[in-house]
Amino acid sequence: MTAVAARPTALAGLLRSMADDEFVIGFSDSEWTGIAPILEEDIAMSSLSQDELGHAAALYGLLATLEDGDADALAYDRGPADFRHARLLDHGRGDWAMTIARRYLYETADAVRLAAVGDGAWPPLTELAGKIAREERYHVAHVELWLDRLARADGEPRDRLVAALTALGPDAGTVFGPLPDEAGLVADGLLDAPMEVLETRWRATIEPRLRGLGLPVPPPTRDRDTSRTVHDPAFTELWSMITSVRRSDPGATW
Amino acid sequence: MTTEMGDAGTGVLEPWEVFRQEKDGDPMRHGGSVLAPDAELAAHYARELYGRRQESVRLWVVRRADVIDLDDPDLLQPPLDRSFKKPGGYVMRDKLAAAREAAGQAKPKARNR
Repeated sequence: MTAVAARPTALAGLLRSMADDEFVIGFSDSEWTGIAPILEEDIAMSSLSQDELGHAAALYGLLATLEDGDADALAYDRGPADFRHARLLDHGRGDWAMTIARRYLYETADAVRLAAVGDGAWPPLTELAGKIAREERYHVAHVELWLDRLARADGEPRDRLVAALTALGPDAGTVFGPLPDEAGLVADGLLDAPMEVLETRWRATIEPRLRGLGLPVPPPTRDRDTSRTVHDPAFTELWSMITSVRRSDPGATW
Repeated sequence: MTTEMGDAGTGVLEPWEVFRQEKDGDPMRHGGSVLAPDAELAAHYARELYGRRQESVRLWVVRRADVIDLDDPDLLQPPLDRSFKKPGGYVMRDKLAAAREAAGQAKPKARNR
């Protein structure tokens, strides 16, 4: 059994935000399976996506210990309005440059967030965050390679990357959107600083890197307060795909 | 597909050979190969193809062009009898049989155990 957390509701909000992020990007990037530019990259992207879904499953599993329900129900039986992923991930996978730009912005932000919960007060989450971080370090390395290659390839690859970063920019910081009872999370030591502080840490890591490659830096976050609560209609489409099989026969034993 | 990724920049794909060690102390065995434009992506792809299921504790990734390939039969399969170089030494059976026949002796029976 998991240790009891002092603030189960606030903790559940944090877990849900992390799990939904991993679930949505994992599903979305898995759309490259079978159609990636080369076979090796197809396998790599499919494997990375499976890692993200694995992280989501583990996080939903922890969430299920706090709330009634199981990981599958949390993943598949909620309506689109109940998802709490960052609005950055409402942007579809797009072309390869869009996928790389989105992964770069998300993975670097996720790394900062994992570090911020890594020494937290609830052992089940800190243990899981430590395991996830070991895989995510490799994910960051993978997307950094691609960012570098697309940025240095003059012409179409670079143009597409700049266009993708420009389109995603205003939503990039939504990974650090406010959480329910965030002050409580910080007071209880579940999160080592408020999300706004984490966002500052994140910008300090990505801005020199993007400037060094001559790429656009994300502007201040648009509609920060609703970063995780108001979603683009595009997500409803994605959601209907994600849940289509489960909804085809509700309550079935698979 | 290449237009989606961009034709420039990453260069030409070439084969890299991947060797893997299943557990500490095991020899490195050839696992297979990957196609990649450079060493960094080759390492990532090697991990995904030969290490993502925790089936390896170590990988060696070598550009195939850097492997010295020897397959000259004059070097490896010389036409003359080289059995004397093998640990078992000469094959004596035929010579012994001929000597026994010349001396009119039968082959000794196997010793009882």
